[in-house]
Parts: sequence; C-alpha cells; structure tokens
Amino acid sequence: MDQARIPVKLHRRVCLIHTEDALLAEELLAHRKLAADLAGRLSDRVLLIRPGRVDAVVQELQKMGHTPQVAT
Amino acid sequence: MALQSPDAWLEPVARTLRSYDEPLLRRVAAKLCKPRGQWPVDELIDRCLETLGNPAALDRRLKELEPESRQVLALIGHSRQPRWAVGSLVEMLTALGHADGLAPVQVLLEAGLLFPVLPEKGRLKHFDVWLGHTTTPFVEAPPAVTQRALKEKLPAISVDNVSLQGPVHEADGLEWPLRLAALWQQLAATPMRRTQQRDFFKRDLDRLRGDSLLGAHPADALSDLPDPGLFTAALALAAGVIEEREGDLCAGIFSPAWGGDTAALVAELLAALPRLVGWNAAAGWQPVNGPGNPYPAANLLALLALAELPEGRGVHPAALEAWMQERHPYWQSRTEKPALAKKPGGSDAEPASRRRKATDKSPPAEVTGVTRFLLGAAYPLRLLQACKDAGGAWAVRLSSLGRWALGFADAPPRPTAFPQTLLVQPNLEMLAYRQGLSPELIVKLTRFATWKTLGAACTLQLEPHSVYRALELGETQTSIVQALERHSMKPTPAPVLEALKTWSNKRERISVYPAAVLLEFPSVAELNEALARGLPAVRLTDRLAAVTSEKQIDYKHFRLTGARDYCLPPEPCATVEADGVTLNIDLARSDLLVESQLQRFAELVDNPATPGRRVYRLTPASLATARGQGMTLAGLAEWFEQRTGLPLAPAARLLFSSAELPPVELRRQLVLQVATSEIADGLLQWPMTATLIRARIGPTALAVAENDAPRLRERLLEIGVRIVHEEG
Repeated sequence: MDQARIPVKLHRRVCLIHTEDALLAEELLAHRKLAADLAGRLSDRVLLIRPGRVDAVVQELQKMGHTPQVAT
Repeated sequence: MALQSPDAWLEPVARTLRSYDEPLLRRVAAKLCKPRGQWPVDELIDRCLETLGNPAALDRRLKELEPESRQVLALIGHSRQPRWAVGSLVEMLTALGHADGLAPVQVLLEAGLLFPVLPEKGRLKHFDVWLGHTTTPFVEAPPAVTQRALKEKLPAISVDNVSLQGPVHEADGLEWPLRLAALWQQLAATPMRRTQQRDFFKRDLDRLRGDSLLGAHPADALSDLPDPGLFTAALALAAGVIEEREGDLCAGIFSPAWGGDTAALVAELLAALPRLVGWNAAAGWQPVNGPGNPYPAANLLALLALAELPEGRGVHPAALEAWMQERHPYWQSRTEKPALAKKPGGSDAEPASRRRKATDKSPPAEVTGVTRFLLGAAYPLRLLQACKDAGGAWAVRLSSLGRWALGFADAPPRPTAFPQTLLVQPNLEMLAYRQGLSPELIVKLTRFATWKTLGAACTLQLEPHSVYRALELGETQTSIVQALERHSMKPTPAPVLEALKTWSNKRERISVYPAAVLLEFPSVAELNEALARGLPAVRLTDRLAAVTSEKQIDYKHFRLTGARDYCLPPEPCATVEADGVTLNIDLARSDLLVESQLQRFAELVDNPATPGRRVYRLTPASLATARGQGMTLAGLAEWFEQRTGLPLAPAARLLFSSAELPPVELRRQLVLQVATSEIADGLLQWPMTATLIRARIGPTALAVAENDAPRLRERLLEIGVRIVHEEG
C-alpha cells in the first residue's frame, strides 16, 4: 500500500550543538566566549552555531575541558 | 608513490600520453606498441597501455634497448620509487661509468618506457625542449616496466670488502616507524606552519630539534644522524604520514603498509628515501640548498654497492664514502675544479679524492653523508647488517630484508610474532616491549595513547585527549579495550577500564554537527511517522530531527514544503500588522534562526488564522524579558530591518523603551480652531498673540492655556476678530 508522503521543510548546512541535558546547554550559553559564537537556541538542549564558527566552537569546548563528538 | 600499486599507474600514464602532441605520441607509440595502421589517438593510447601491461611485450622492448637504458629502469626498480629527478638518474649513470648519462633517459622517454612528470594542463611537443626548459625535470616509470628490468645487471661498484667476523648486528626496523608515529601524534594535536621557503618557523624548528622523542639520536643507530627530528619530518612527509594542507603540516593517514608486517613498511619507507626534501645526511636540515640534490643518487648507489658482496663479506662505509667522492659527478666536479686551476692541461684528470688517498690514510671527510646515511638511517630501518672488524670499525652488508626490499632476493620469512607485548599499569601508563611491536600495533597505540619514551621498552600514557583523539578517528571504547586485552600480558586493571569508560561517556555529552541537515515537520506526529519509516535521524525537538548528510534521506517518503540554507544571509520572512506588534511569519520562507530569535522577544500566538503562517506578538512582558537578557533597541531595530524589510514599528519602539521614557504630562487646555492655516501662522507670528499660544497642534488648531483665554480674546478683539467660545 502506498504511504502518503510526509510534508517536511529542509534546513541545509546547519551548525549546531546537541547536549546531553539542558543544564549543560545553560553552562555553554553562560560561557561568554562561546556564547558569542552561538546564534540561538532551538530547544533546551540544542544550540545553533553561527555559520563558519564551528571550528572555533569545537576548540573552545575542548579548552573548557569538554570532549565533543563531531558528527560528520 | 601512486604508481606503486599494480593498477594505479594506468591512469597517470594515460593522462601523460594525452598531454603529448599528436606527432610525439605517434613517434612514442611507434616504438612502444608498433601499430601497423594510422590509429586514432585514443586507441593509440589504449594500445600503449596494453603493451605496458604485457610482460612478454615489455621484455621484447627492453631487449631492444642499450644496456645503460635498461640500467636506468633497473635503478628505479631497485629504489621502489617510481618518480625520480632526471638529474639524479644522470648522476647515477655517470657514477657507474657512463659518459653520457642523459642519453639513456632520452631513449627511454622516446621508447614510451619512461614518462615525464608534467604540470596539470601542459602540452608536450619535444622531450628535448621539456628537458631544457624545466628547472628540475622529474620522470616516472610504471612499476610493471621497472620490475621487468630488475634482472638487468648493474656495473659493479668496486670497493674493498672485508671479512665479517664476530656478532652480526641487525636492528628491528621499528625505530623510524615509531618516530614517524610520534610525530604524527604531535601534529594531530598541533599542526606546524611552514614558511614560503619551505622552512619551519623557529618555534617549530626548535621543537623538532629539542623534542625528547624526535630530536634524540636513535639508541640502536651505529652513527648519529644530523637533525634526526627533521629527518623524521622529511621522511614522514615523503611517506605520506604527514601532509601539507594550506601551508600547515598536519597528521596524514597511515598507508595500508602500516597494517602489514615490518618488511612491507620498511619497503615503503625505502621508496620514500629518494623523495626527502630539505634534509641530507651530510649537513642535516638544509631547506634552501640551491638546484640539484645529489643525495638520493648517492644513498641508492651506496645501498646497491652492498648487493653484490660475497657471502660473509662486508664493506666499510668509509670506503663507499671515498668511492662516492671519486665517482659521483657532484662531488667529483667540486674536488676537481681547484686542481684543474692549479695544473691546467697536466695530469689533473685524476680525481682529487684519488690523489688524497696516496698521501692520506685517514677516512675521507663525510661530505656525501653516505656513512651517516648507512649507519644512522638505513641500519635502524633493518636494511643492513653490521659487524665490527678487528680494528673496531663497522662494516655493513645488506640484511635479508634489505636484499628483498631492493629487489635482489625473495621475501624473508616472517619473524615470530609476540602479540602479548603490553603491560598496562593502574596509573594509566603502558609499557610496550619492542620485540612484540608491529606497524599495525604501533598505529593502534598511536591513536589512543601518547608515546612518552622510545627504547627497548617504550612507554605510553593513556590520557583523556589521546582517548578522545582515538574516538574521533573512529575507535570505540570497546575496540580500545579489546586492543589492550589482545596485546596485554596481564588483564587490564580496573582503574584503566573505568577511566576509558568515563572519557568515552564524556564524549557522548556534547555532539557538534558542523553541517547537519535538519528536517522540520509540521507536528510531532509527522516526525514520529518519519522515524518509524526508517529515517536515520536524531530527534532534536518535537518537530525537528537532524541527519549528518542529505544522502541519508529517502525522498520517496517526503514532500518538500521548503528548503533553506543555513549559511545564506537572513531573508525577510515576516510581516508586521497594523498594530505594529503582531508579526506574521511565512513558514515557507522562514529559517531556523528566525523562530529562535523571535522566542527571545515575542510570544507565540495560538491558532493562527492563516495556515502556513505562524503569529508572534510583542508584549510589554516579552520585551522586558528581552531587555533583561541583554537585547538592545538597536538589535531589535536591526531584526525588523532584516526580517520585515521595514523600520522598527513605533508601537514596538514604545513598548521596548517605555521603561526609559520621561513621565508624560496630562493637562487641561483649550483648542483655538481657525479657518485657515494662514490665520494660524499669523497668530503664531504676531508678538501680541504668540506669547499666549502654547503649541500648534495642527495646521489650523492652536493650544491655549485656560488662564490666557481672556487676554487672547481681548487682543483678537482689538484687531476685529471675535472668538466664539464653545463649551466642551
């Protein structure tokens, strides 16, 4: 049986951080240097990174002692 | 290096042949595949490639050549490096006694058995012109050709040999691979930048010279190499262990040879030796050394000189040094010139080094670097065996691995493996006993632990960043634990397992998507349906899910309602209603940022009247929250410009800045309504009435204080204007 197609809107080349919990996202937002490279918050656990600033964000996270998993 | 694998050479050779001018191609093809008809160019190239892949045809072509041309191919074959500078090949032929070293190279180019290395879009008409106009011309020979030429006997390199008595020394071949791995690890953490002159900046130069692992002389080398850290860097670059990206030297990819036994890796490193740039065994690091590089030819000849030694005999490296000074044209010409100047036209044809021998019994000065190369680089690579003579001087010969790597013998038997070679300690330190190490294990350890010392027993440290590096390279906690258990002599201590688990779990806490594709669904039901149909996405919110690549989306399940590129500049997608505070978002044009931005300063209004739109409203409370979070009036105005294409609405401005406004005044006053604006202008200009008018509130309306009304009436009566007073 044919299934109906699901309507969806696509956002390409999105740079984002997905944290394990909301508290961690808060911690990242409270970090002044990191916050400058964040464009917004999609949800309590998802932060948007400004385009072109991913490498700087990963480096800053590592400086903060985090070991982010870079999903490629 | 690309031509080393059996089929990899086909495409580069085809590309080179396509860049030949047609007459040149037909001339080369006439000698290589001897076509009987006038074939089209493409077919001619195909036939050339077929001939190069046909051993019987190659043997016939090789048989037609003069011995010196076959020797050129044999030299390339023995080196395992298919790409050589023409100058180096000429130097080797001259040193081996051929008066004209260039002619055999030209013959091979014309015969289609050797190919010029051309720039990407170059066209070639004549080999002579190309050789004359290129600063450092390089040629390349397909391995299929050089392998057939290996049986060609090379002219003997006659140096005195000595009997080898006493214990024979042979290294394990792992010293340089270990150093390459340590360098890879350092560059994975911090790349090095190079200058435009291909040198290192002082900080990196000091780092390579002073590093405790890379800068130290190998313990098992029989002679010290100058600048061992820079030799490691040059070798790593030549072997592809590190690579240059936009001027930075970065960690590269370990080649498949690192997954095999030591012999395969040593053969690959032997092939990389002629490609060393900036370093030589005579002077160490010399990044700018003028045109010409005599060392690759000298080093290969030195190794080949050891191939024909009788059983039980060896050669003093100093004897090879003397031979090289006497026969290699680079040093020969340098030592002969002063002599020629001194005795013109006399018996000065005798090389200076030979004259030196007659009077001086001491070893020759190490100007060619051959002694250091053999004892300091080739011996630790396990290409040589060494033995001390009665006088205590080292004599060397090829090892069985060296004979195989240079193409003089079959592969040596595989050494016995000792897989349990690690000792993992509770303090996260590891001991790796050298006899059990293999290239594969070196790579594995390099990924997840940090090399601390290199010796008979190497020490490594498990660290958070080293484990993180391994996880980023595709290892998992399980694969690391498995590697430790497989190679460890004892069970892995509990604290080590715990640390690995903690560090691995920590990595799961934050995921960064550098270029994700986000799927935005109308509601949670559609998102659930998509996941149920097998969309391999990570759920981010009720309506959003992310995949790392668009290839993961099976479009037969989806209908696109819109697509946005996150990296493009923001577009207007909102309209402001007449009230100035209600914002209508066009969902087909909106992007991810717009809604996350709106949430900062507006409230979502339920039940929008128009489908496909979402409505937000600015309220005093939402704007107060935005101000509290650091939003400025300029920022809000900029958002309005970008997203609505209009300036900030006055109502929005009022609501945002209301807290900073001065108090407003509410008072009673009369309005003087006149017939025309000219009358109002007159009243405002005539001094007798101007002082009694508070403000002009319209073209024909003037404000007057209640107290001033009687005096205004009197003055207007003086000029004959009567006020009709209407009570409100």
